[in-house]
Amino acid sequence: MKNRNLKPAWLKKSLYLCLTAALLAGCSSDDGKDGTNGLNGADGAAGAAGADGNGNQDPSLVTTSGYAFPSDAIFVAPNAQDGDNITADLLLALFDAPAGSTVVMPKGSFVVDETITVANANELTLTGYGITDTKLDFTGATGDDAFRFEAGLDITIRDFGVYEANKNGIKVVGVNGVHLTYTATIWEGALEADNGAYGLYPLQSQNILMEHNYARGSADAGIYVGQSNNIVVRNNIAKENVAGIEIENSNNADVYNNLAVGNTGGILVFDLPGLDQAYGGNVRVFNNESYANNAENFAGGGAVSIVPPGTGILIFATSGVEIYNNTLTDNETSAIEIASYFLSDADVANYPANYGGTMANGWSPQIKNVYMHDNIIKRSGANPRGTLLTDIVNGYTAPVALGGKGETMPAILYGGIGELLSNAGALAAFNGLITDQDAIDDGVNYNPYTAADLICANNNINDNEAAALPQFPDVNIGLVYGTDPTDNAPANFDGDGNPVPTLRSEPLQGNATLLNCTLDRLAPTEVTFRGKTYGCSGDDLAEPACSL
Amino acid sequence: MKMKELHKLMCGSLVLLATTLGLSACSDSDSSGSSSSAPTANSSSVNDGAGAPDGQEGSCDAETIGVNWNALMTKTCPNLSDYNLFKDSSDPTDNPNTGGMPYGLSTALFTDYATKYRYVFVPEGEKAEYTENEVLDFPVGTVLVKTFALPENTAFRDGAETVIETRLLVHRESGWKALPYYWDTENDASLAITGKSIANMTTNHNGVDLNFTYQVPKATSCTSCHSVVPILQGPDDRRQAIFKPIGPKARFLNRDFDYADSSMNQLVYWQEQGILDNLPADLSTVSKAPVFDDSTDIGALTAAEVDDAAKAYLDINCAHCHRSELSLPEPNYAGPAGSSGVNVEYNRVYADNPTKFGTCKVPVAGGHEDYSADVVPQDAGDSYLLFRMSTNDQRHRMPELGRSTVHQEGVDLIAAWINGLPAASCTP
Repeated sequence: MKNRNLKPAWLKKSLYLCLTAALLAGCSSDDGKDGTNGLNGADGAAGAAGADGNGNQDPSLVTTSGYAFPSDAIFVAPNAQDGDNITADLLLALFDAPAGSTVVMPKGSFVVDETITVANANELTLTGYGITDTKLDFTGATGDDAFRFEAGLDITIRDFGVYEANKNGIKVVGVNGVHLTYTATIWEGALEADNGAYGLYPLQSQNILMEHNYARGSADAGIYVGQSNNIVVRNNIAKENVAGIEIENSNNADVYNNLAVGNTGGILVFDLPGLDQAYGGNVRVFNNESYANNAENFAGGGAVSIVPPGTGILIFATSGVEIYNNTLTDNETSAIEIASYFLSDADVANYPANYGGTMANGWSPQIKNVYMHDNIIKRSGANPRGTLLTDIVNGYTAPVALGGKGETMPAILYGGIGELLSNAGALAAFNGLITDQDAIDDGVNYNPYTAADLICANNNINDNEAAALPQFPDVNIGLVYGTDPTDNAPANFDGDGNPVPTLRSEPLQGNATLLNCTLDRLAPTEVTFRGKTYGCSGDDLAEPACSL
Repeated sequence: MKMKELHKLMCGSLVLLATTLGLSACSDSDSSGSSSSAPTANSSSVNDGAGAPDGQEGSCDAETIGVNWNALMTKTCPNLSDYNLFKDSSDPTDNPNTGGMPYGLSTALFTDYATKYRYVFVPEGEKAEYTENEVLDFPVGTVLVKTFALPENTAFRDGAETVIETRLLVHRESGWKALPYYWDTENDASLAITGKSIANMTTNHNGVDLNFTYQVPKATSCTSCHSVVPILQGPDDRRQAIFKPIGPKARFLNRDFDYADSSMNQLVYWQEQGILDNLPADLSTVSKAPVFDDSTDIGALTAAEVDDAAKAYLDINCAHCHRSELSLPEPNYAGPAGSSGVNVEYNRVYADNPTKFGTCKVPVAGGHEDYSADVVPQDAGDSYLLFRMSTNDQRHRMPELGRSTVHQEGVDLIAAWINGLPAASCTP
C-alpha cells in the first residue's frame, strides 16, 4: 500500500525526533531562517504539542501572523526540504481530512506540480507558516488553477504564498464561508499577459472575508470577488496587477483599508453581462489608498482589458455604490471613473440582440446610485490614456487651438450617456426585456433617473499642494455627456437626435451643477463565518474607518 | 522525488494486452453466463444471480463468487481486484461478473485517443429509471466502471494497447463515490488517490506518432467534472456540491451496441434485460445524440448534422462543467463552470440565447488578446473557444482536465459548427 497513514506516524516520529534533537541540540534552536534547522525545529515542536497539548507558545507552532496550530493539526510533509515537491503529500492530507481539520503545509519553499482541488470541505483550515514563510511554486504545474475549492462550508485559507500559477492562484467556487488571510498570490518578473489571471478568486460564494492578503502581477484581477454576496475585503495590498481589487456582479461588499498601488486600475466594481448572478450592488469602497495605478494594461483579454491605465477607482455598470474617504493619488488618468456599459459597447440598438437574455435577468448597462464623497484626490491626470478614452482625453486635454478644452483630465470622470438616453426615454423599450421579478423589485429599469438614481459627488477634496499646481491647474469633475435632454447650452443631441458628447467640467470642490446631489448612505455588510460576524457591524465596531 | 521513482517503476510495468491472444476464448467458454444470453422474458433479469449489497460492512479481503458488493458500498479498497468485478481480475476490458454489462456512448469525452471500456453493474433485483435529460436514475449499489487503454494505433483499436487506469463510480447510500485505480502491475490495479503522470505515452494516429504525458487524474479531481455546485441563494444557504456521473444519459445510450449475439439499441436492451424501467414505448420520443467518432467524415455532414454533432460534442466534453440549472432535478445547482455564463447542454436550444454558447461573449475570466469572443459566428479563427480546444497551454486549454493532446477531429467539428452558425453582431 503506497498511501501512508499520515498523522499518527508523524506525531510519533516527530516526538522521537524532538527527543533526539533535544538531547543533541535542543528543540528550540529554530532560527526560522535555515530551512533544515527550521523544519527540524518544527518537527520537534509538533511532538511536544502532541505530547502535552501546550504548544501555543512555541514559535514553530504559530504562523508569522500569530495563528497557533491546534493540537490535532495534520502536518503535511513536515520533513520536506526547500525545493521538494509536496504535491502528493498535500493531496493525500486534504483527501482524507475530516470536517474541522487544520492542515499545515511546511515551512520553506516547495514545488507543487498540479492543481490542488478540495471539494465539499467543512470547516477546513489550510495554512502554512506565514505569508512569506511557506512558498508554493506552481511553475510548470498541470492544470490552470493552483488551488481550487469547490463547494464547502467555512473554509479558512491562510499564511502561505502561491507563486506562478498557470492561471488562477486560489479559486473558491460555491463555498459558504471563506476566510482568506495572510495569503499571497504572486507572479514575479515583468507584467505580462501570460501572467496568471486571478490571484485570490472567490466566485459564486457567500460570506467572504479577505484580509491581510497580497496580490502581485495578475494579468486580470489580483484580489477578486465575483457573483457572490456578503463580502468584506479589508487591509489587503494589491500591487501591479491589471485590476488591483475587483468586485464583480456581487452584492453587499465592504472594501476598506486596502492599498492598491501600481496596478492598471486600483479598485474596480463591475457588473458584466451574461453571468448567473446577473447584477450586484450595495458596494462600499472606503478609506482605501489607491495610488500610482499607472501600469499599462497587460491583460491578455477579458473584461479588464478595457481598464484605462492610470485609474484609481473604476465603477462600471454597477448600481448602488458608495465611494468615500479614499485617498487617490498620482493616478495618471482619473482618480475615479464612473461608466455605464455603453462605454465598452455603444451599439445601443443591438443590446436586445446581444444581451437580451442577461437583461431579462436584471443585468443592465446602466449605472445608477453612485455616491462619491470625502475622497482626497491628489495629482490626478498627469498622463491620461486608455484605448477607450482616446477621444475623451483629447477632448479635455488638447489645447483650445486644436479643438480641445485645454484642461487637466477630470479627476472624477462620469460618462453620462446611459443617464442621458434614459432621461430622453430612448431606452424605455428595454423595460420590456426584464422578466426577473426580483430585478424589477430591485429597481432595475430604463426609466428617466429619479433622485435616488443619480450619480453624486460632494465634499471631495483637492489635496494638491502648491508645488503641484503648475502641472495640475484643474482638479475637475467631468461629464462626457450631459444628462439633461432638454439642455440646450450646449445641446446634448444633434439635429438627427444622436447624443453629442459635450465634455462638461467643473471644479471638484464646490461643484454646483455637475453631480451636485446627495444620496442615502449604504448599509454596512456583515460576513458570518463559523458563527461569528465580521465587518463594520461585526468585529470592526471599533474600527475608525467604519465610523466614516 | 519519491513520486518520480515510483512513477518510473510503474511505467516500466505497464500492462501490454494483446487482446487477440487467448483472451477472446474466455468469452466463449463463459457464454453460459449472463451478459451474452439472449433477451428473455420480463420476469428474469440479466442481473439474476448477481447478488446485491446486504447493508453489512464489507471487506476488501472477502472471497466472493461474484461482485464484492459490500466492499464496493463501504470500503475504499487498495486493489481493483478486491471488488471482483471481472472474471479475470487482470483484464478489465472483458467478461464482467454477473450484474455487469458493457455499454458505449454515441459521442464520447475525448481522452488522448484512449479506448474506453465501459461497464455498468446493477445489483440483483434493482433497476435504473429512465430520465429524459439527465443521467439515468441508477439505484444504490450501481457501479460504473471505465477502463482507459491507449492503442498502439488508433486505426486498430482491436490491436495492441496499454491498459492505463480503471475508474469506478460507486453509488453508495451517501451518494456517488469515485475510486481511481492505476494499472501498476500486470495483474492488478492500485488505488491512486494522488493520480499519476506518465511521460512518453505514444499512440499512432493517422500515421503520426503522438507522444505525450498522460495524466491519470487524482481522486480529488473527480469532483471537478463530476459534481454540480449549489448556486448559493444567499448568506444562509449552506448546501454542498452533489456528485454525479456524466455519460450514461439516455441521449448518449440511445444507439445500437454490439452484444455477443446481436446488435441492439442499448436502452431497449437494458429494458429487455431488466435493468432499466420506464423507457418510453415510443423510442422516437427519446433524445438521441448522434454518433460522432474519429471516423466521422465532417465534410459529408449536412449543416443540421454538423449542428447536432457539435452540440453533442460540446455536451459530453464541456457541459459537465459548463451547464446551468436547465434540466437539473436539484433546484439552484449548476456545473462548476456554470458561472462563466457559457452553458452548452445538448438540450439547450442555441437560438434561444446564443450567448449561452459563447456567441459574441467576451470571456469573463482571462481571455486572449488574439480572440475577440468565445464564439464568433462564421469566424472560427477568431473564436476563443476553438483556440482553447486547440491548445495544450495549461492556462488556456479546455477541457482543463483529462487531455494532454488536441482532439483534431473535435476541433474540426467545432470549427465547422462555428463557421456555419448564423451571423451575429460580432460576425465580421
